[in-house]
Amino acid sequence: MSDRTLSRKMIPATKKRSQALDVWKRLRKSNSAIAGLILIFIFLCLAVFAPLIADYENDALKMNIIERLQSPGADHWFGTDEMGRDIFARIVYGTRISLFVGVISVSIALTLGGTLGAIAGYYGGKIDNIIMRTLDVLLAIPTILLAITIVAALGASILNLMIAVGISNIPGFARVVRAAVLSIKDQEFIEAARAIGSRDHTIILKHVLPNSMAPIIVFATLKVASAIMATASLSFIGLGIQPPTPEWGSMLAGGRAYIRDNMYIVLYPGLAIVLTVLSLNLIGDGLRDALDPKLK
Amino acid sequence: MKGTVLKVENLAVRYVTEDGIVQAVNGIDISVEKGSTLGLVGETGAGKTTTALSVLRLIPDPPGEVVSGKIELDGKALMELPESKMEKIRGGLVSMIFQDPMTALNPVLKVGDQIAEAIKIHQQLSQDKALQKAREMLEMVGIPGARMNEYPHQFSGGMKQRVVIAIALSCSPKLLIADEPTTALDVTIQAQVLELMKELKEKMDMAMIMITHDLGVVAEVCDNVAIMYAGRIVEQGTLEEIFNNTKHPYTEGLFLSIPNIDDRKAELKPIRGLMSDPFNLPPGCSFCDRCDYAMDKCATEKPEKVHFSPDHFVECHLYPDNKEFQLKGGKG
Amino acid sequence: MKDKEVLLQVRNLKKYFDTPKGKLHAVDDITFDLRKGKTLGLVGESGCGKSTTGRVILRLLEATDGEIIYNGKNIRELSPKEMRALRKEIQIIFQDPFSSLDPRMTVSEIIEEPIKLNKLIRDRKKRFERVLELMDLVGLSRRLMNTYPHELDGGRRQRIGIARALALDTKFIVCDEPVSALDVSIQAQILNLLKELQKKLGLTYIFITHDLSVVNHFSDDIAVMYLGKLIEKASAEELFSNPVHPYTKALLSAIPRPTLEKTGEKIILKGEISSPINPEDNCRFANRCPYARDVCRQSEPPLRESGENHFVACHLF
Ligand SMILES: Nc1ncnc2c1ncn2[C@@H]1O[C@H](COP(=O)(O)OP(=O)(O)OP(=O)(O)O)[C@@H](O)[C@H]1O
Ligand SMILES: Nc1ncnc2c1ncn2[C@@H]1O[C@H](COP(=O)(O)OP(=O)(O)O)[C@@H](O)[C@H]1O
Ligand code: SF4
Ligand code: SF4
Ligand SMILES: [Mg+2]
Ligand SMILES: [Mg+2]
Repeated sequence: MSDRTLSRKMIPATKKRSQALDVWKRLRKSNSAIAGLILIFIFLCLAVFAPLIADYENDALKMNIIERLQSPGADHWFGTDEMGRDIFARIVYGTRISLFVGVISVSIALTLGGTLGAIAGYYGGKIDNIIMRTLDVLLAIPTILLAITIVAALGASILNLMIAVGISNIPGFARVVRAAVLSIKDQEFIEAARAIGSRDHTIILKHVLPNSMAPIIVFATLKVASAIMATASLSFIGLGIQPPTPEWGSMLAGGRAYIRDNMYIVLYPGLAIVLTVLSLNLIGDGLRDALDPKLK
Repeated sequence: MKGTVLKVENLAVRYVTEDGIVQAVNGIDISVEKGSTLGLVGETGAGKTTTALSVLRLIPDPPGEVVSGKIELDGKALMELPESKMEKIRGGLVSMIFQDPMTALNPVLKVGDQIAEAIKIHQQLSQDKALQKAREMLEMVGIPGARMNEYPHQFSGGMKQRVVIAIALSCSPKLLIADEPTTALDVTIQAQVLELMKELKEKMDMAMIMITHDLGVVAEVCDNVAIMYAGRIVEQGTLEEIFNNTKHPYTEGLFLSIPNIDDRKAELKPIRGLMSDPFNLPPGCSFCDRCDYAMDKCATEKPEKVHFSPDHFVECHLYPDNKEFQLKGGKG
Repeated sequence: MKDKEVLLQVRNLKKYFDTPKGKLHAVDDITFDLRKGKTLGLVGESGCGKSTTGRVILRLLEATDGEIIYNGKNIRELSPKEMRALRKEIQIIFQDPFSSLDPRMTVSEIIEEPIKLNKLIRDRKKRFERVLELMDLVGLSRRLMNTYPHELDGGRRQRIGIARALALDTKFIVCDEPVSALDVSIQAQILNLLKELQKKLGLTYIFITHDLSVVNHFSDDIAVMYLGKLIEKASAEELFSNPVHPYTKALLSAIPRPTLEKTGEKIILKGEISSPINPEDNCRFANRCPYARDVCRQSEPPLRESGENHFVACHLF
């Protein structure tokens, strides 16, 4: 086995190879990851160039009862909603908020939950017990209820919404990260790192986390979707994005009543969410494999 | 000698993987006489386990493929048998013990039940009778029958390996294949288990293939030895011939790599390099790039068998022309 | 043994683990000295506490009790900062060449890590040269610097581990079964390398193994452990020519020898190893010992000098 792999790398090495470049090279080989990247890139473009694509005031916000519930056509590519607003325009502007809320709230949950989980898993014992039991209490409360409570306490705003969704996801992330850390921390290379004088935080950041990436990445991409949905639910009960600000989740929620005759009202925002989640998942899967040097 | 139990001819097995074809076993002949023990020696990846699994027709397919070979066990040609017949033969005529006693037992079943289950596969016995027999087997391997209601985790490594042996022997096989049965055990426990295996082999008049990389174990239990390298048997002979009249450079290298316990000052002379890549075996002798005696033709021509006695042969270019050639390493 | 030659003194070292069933005495009151530039072999069956001893000495595990005096300083009393400084001198090589290297780092990154971490060489280019030097030293071809451990065989991986251990100002290495996972032909290569390095760099080793032929070949002094206890200690020559403890005798006789001339009877031990959890005050070998008497089940034999520099813990002596 070894000699075969060796011969592939016979080129006399005088330079160190760059890890980031390696990861990119491996990622590039995965068609699905590239598809995901392209999709996300399109969404990002929509978000950035929204003003060039649609008129915020007139198309996305202004009610226009005459044109309500129009089917998709040349004037309104995706049709209009119950208030006569252009669904395409709303989706384009919604990208800004939904992507932002989804990614930021997951980042909050990942950072805080991840840190707690890593500490609990790495140190174990009492520290583990205290952290995990406390989080268990949080976990016992349904995520959405928890988020409602937090927004209600902080006041409704986009920022508070992200904080609420983020915090309510902390226990989930802590669990996943802790489990991943537990499976790594007893391996001998961790001990080897300690033997050369690494401090705990270096060990966690440099050795433990990179080796426990796979489940964390998969979990995070899934959670972006549920964060977008949670945002929608909160918006629906008036605690999130205030109408008429366009946001995919609330578009979906608002169109519920018309689903029978005007399916497209929910179809397009739904599709936008599904595509975002799908592309994030594809990227996540690709990244997970690309980060693992064992998979060529 | 009382006749041949196992006869393998020209066995070749390969594994077809995404990365290429692994030539695991490349045309080997083995025969095991009734009541005798053949030691199959070689380093990791030499093809020992693959050979053993072929005899049981247990090569995972895919990726494994038996390319050629005739296997005759107790007069039956195994390659032609349907799978249903093979199931009867495994554990009946021939049994196998695997390297790791920790994973060979089911952790949620009592050891007595596990032995009884193995017995019932091959013999029409009632549960009571099977349990009775299981108890006898357990006592035979030196574990008090009263402990048959315990679970594997309550046993030590050596005891677990003894249970595995009890299961393997429960149907009085004609041939026992033991794949590194003591590698995972400690020296004193290893001594117990080897002693037990020798004793049971005598008692049951069974033939054995002992797969190992430890020449010390070979010296203790084997009658004949086959040295395997990169899927070939490069030297085979009686214990005495292999140890005292070593002919193949690889065999010699193995002996010189082992620290001599009775002479602590003796220098180790390791074999340089690594075993050839099984994806890409050289056209000539596979040992060529590690061999101190290599000649030009070693790189291009496969060496043929050279016999020194009916039992003793080597595959090496050193001999056909000059049978008197002596290896220089002080061995043989 | 002159005192000034002594690099490491271990005094009454204990390490107990808390388990649901009680205190597990992994290392129970062991004492030994290690001379500079020499090798102490630590042998015994699995679970007898060899690795734990090694780890406690390096403070990868905190000892329960006892003193570890390295170069006159008690390691157990060092502050975290002092300990990090000392880690430049004391290192470990692990048994499993597969799990002891971070699978996500390349060979050169693994060897470079200790140098970078301890800010030994700040200049990137020079640091890189040092990595290449170390690779030459342990016989790793330079072209392998960008490969990942999983692409290499056990022997080469073990060389990476050795290079990593040598990257700092290493003076003392705990070798925890460095060749147990390797094939004999590769095992001999690594043993020779370790010996050569010892000569070249004046290293001091604790060499942990369960293979007595390896330890005999490799060590100057040997300590035999049984269930957390040090039961016999002598120079390698003395221990092999004149073993005293019944367990050591059984151990030596049980080694399968790769030769046809059979020397002496094998002592086959009966009985099972007793539990290391809450052991009673007795000889821990008593239930397997062919010479056990009443006194053996009533009190623990202390380690006593039975000959010059030959220590043994058995009531018979
Ligand atoms: N399922 C498989 N798929 C692909 N290759 C395989 C498979 N099983 C074995 N091989 C390859 O076949 C060759 C011989 O393997 P085998 O397991 O028989 O060696 P061995 O001598 O028993 O080694 P060990 O001492 O490690 O058990 C090796 O190169 C191995 O990598
Ligand atoms: N972290 C741990 N927790 C509990 N028990 C342990 C731990 N590490 C080792 N032990 C126990 O300590 C004893 C000695 O272990 P170890 O030093 O690893 O043995 P060896 O290296 O001789 O095989 C064993 O009984 C082992 O199960
Ligand atoms: S055939 Fe040539 S290379 Fe092969 S073992 Fe004999 S002398 Fe060495
Ligand atoms: S003290 Fe007693 S039981 Fe222990 S080794 Fe000596 S004779 Fe045997
Ligand atoms: Mg095998
Ligand atoms: Mg150990």
